Formats: sequence, structure tokens, C-alpha cells
Amino acid sequence: MDQFEKYIRDNKQVFNDHKADRAKIWAHIEPHLPTNKPKVIPLWKSPMIGKAASVLILIGIATMVNLTFFGNGNSQTNEISQELQDIDMHYKGLVTYQVQLVEKNKQLSKADKEEFLSFMVELDEEYNDLILEMHSSLDNEQVLEAIVSNYRKRIELIENLLQQLNESKIKDDHYGYIL
Amino acid sequence: METEIRFTHRSLVERSKSGDRTAQYQLYELYVDAMYNVSMRFLGIKEDAEDIVQDSFVDAFKNLEKFKYESTFGSWLKRIVINKSINHLKVKRIPLTTIDNHEYHLTDEVEYEKVDTINMFKVKSGIEKLPVGYRQIINLYLIEGYDHNEISDVLGITISTSKSQYHRAKKKLVEIINTL
Repeated sequence: MDQFEKYIRDNKQVFNDHKADRAKIWAHIEPHLPTNKPKVIPLWKSPMIGKAASVLILIGIATMVNLTFFGNGNSQTNEISQELQDIDMHYKGLVTYQVQLVEKNKQLSKADKEEFLSFMVELDEEYNDLILEMHSSLDNEQVLEAIVSNYRKRIELIENLLQQLNESKIKDDHYGYIL
Repeated sequence: METEIRFTHRSLVERSKSGDRTAQYQLYELYVDAMYNVSMRFLGIKEDAEDIVQDSFVDAFKNLEKFKYESTFGSWLKRIVINKSINHLKVKRIPLTTIDNHEYHLTDEVEYEKVDTINMFKVKSGIEKLPVGYRQIINLYLIEGYDHNEISDVLGITISTSKSQYHRAKKKLVEIINTL
């Protein structure tokens, strides 16, 4: 590079003597710029996400159908999980069966049966209270334990009664045999 | 901290990429005068230069994703302005390089350095008086600082044509300056 070139390059700021009309030029630029939107990543374009979403929608529809046609408005059973329902059914079946045994027992007097059943009614009331309690706090283990022990008590009570009856029967039979 | 010159205004550029209008305006403010001057040197007409600058900024912001810091943002933008300015001249059918004696690759080193009394205003008005083709190459080489490789790319000519044209242009410029 010779002196002439160097001189020009060293002093080239002289060539920057124009001032742009900023506002005017920007006014023409701005309308052509894309609008200020945050970048959206189109998730639905991903095939995996699409499939997952379809599965979720299907599950949702199935649940809705299930609730609408098979729920029968029985909100209590819907609220209790399947496992709890199974336990409940098991104990309820046991209690009903044994209560029937007591009622059918011919050895017991009417007064004895009523006395026994009044105990059962008390325990039934306690049970209903516990169920209500459980609906308001399903996660409460103490409530669940109380329900189970309520059932156990009833069963125990019935079993004891039946055992006593059977024992007296055996005694009687034995006595008869000796005779 | 970024010290490399390529990353000048990086945060502004990045925010502009994501469509931040404030950042875009700040970049515009920083570069508009320089870009306007570049375009004015090529076109010499205020309205044309404004149009080119406007188009260049719109293109730059729309294609900012393609800017990967291989150069400074300024030189990337300037290249857009120069390309658009030269295309504009092509559309107006102004010959970019004089067509005389293309085949002669001049080696005559004339004493055009002997311009002791030059002052920049004479140089400036001398450049303005040059034929358009000569003016382009003088602008690109002396003022924009492009080498012959880049000039050949911008003007679509060979490197040797760029060199010979530059020497002719410089000779002509010295002649003009000496008459001023």
C-alpha cells in the first residue's frame, strides 16, 4: 500500500459525512418486521407427543363414558379406591353372613337376639360415622384402621356369641351322651 | 466476558433474533448512519440510499438467524448494504466496471503517488467525479477496506480484473485530484 492509499484509509471518516433520517427510515422498516411474538415450538408437530396426546384423550373419553353411564351417581363408591371397596365388601359380607347366623339360631331367645343386634346397631352407627370421616380425609390411615377394627369387633362379637352357643350345644350333646 | 470483536453487540443481536423490537431499534440506531453512508458512497442519491438502507435492515432482521458471528454484525450488515447497492446500480443499467481494455493487465506503475498536497476534501470530490465503475472499486478497496478477493466476489469479476480495474481507477483519481 502506498502513501496515497494509506492517507485515504487513515482519514476515511471524512467519507462518513451523511446523517441518515432515522425516524423516516425506521418508519419504513418497522411494518416489515415480524411481530414481536415469543417463539412457539409446535409440540403437536412431534409424532410422539401427538400419540401421547391421543392416548390421553382416549383415556379421558373412556373415563367420562364410565362416569356417565356406569357411575349411577354413586359418588361414595367413586370416591373410595378399588382396594378399599374390596376390603369393605369382604367385611360387610362376613358381618351380614354372621348376623344371619345369629338371627336364624333357634337356641337364642328373642330378647338375647335383640340385645345382640343392638350392639351391632351401635357398631353400625360408628361405622357410618367413620365412612363419613373417611370421605373428608381419604388419606387418613387412622380412620381406615378404625373402620377395619370396627368390622373386626363386630365379627369378633358374632364369633364369640356363636362360639358360646356351639360350646353349650357340645356340652349338652356330651352330657346327653354320658347319660 | 466476550472480548472478541466478532461478538460486538452480541446480546443486542441475540435479543433481536428473538424478535425483541427494542433491541432491533437499538441495533438500527447504532448502525444506520454508517450504512447510510456506505450506500450514499455507491449511489450518491439520498432517496436511493434510504431505500437501500431500509431494505437492508428489513432483510437483516428477517435473516438474523443466519448470522453466526463469523464476522462482526456490522460487516455482515454492510455486506448486505453493498450487495443491494450494487444490485440497484445493475438494475439501473449503470456499468459497474468500464469496459475499456479489460484484456490488458496493466503493470505500468505510474507515479500517481506524487500527490503531496492532497487533502481529503479533494480526494472526496475526486472520487465523486469518477465514473461509476471506478468509483465502486475505489470505495470497496480504499474505504470499505475489502481485499480483491472480496471485491471479486461482490462484483462478480475475477481477482485479476479487480486488481487491474483498481489500478486504473486509482490512476484516474490521481489525475482528477491533480486538476482540482
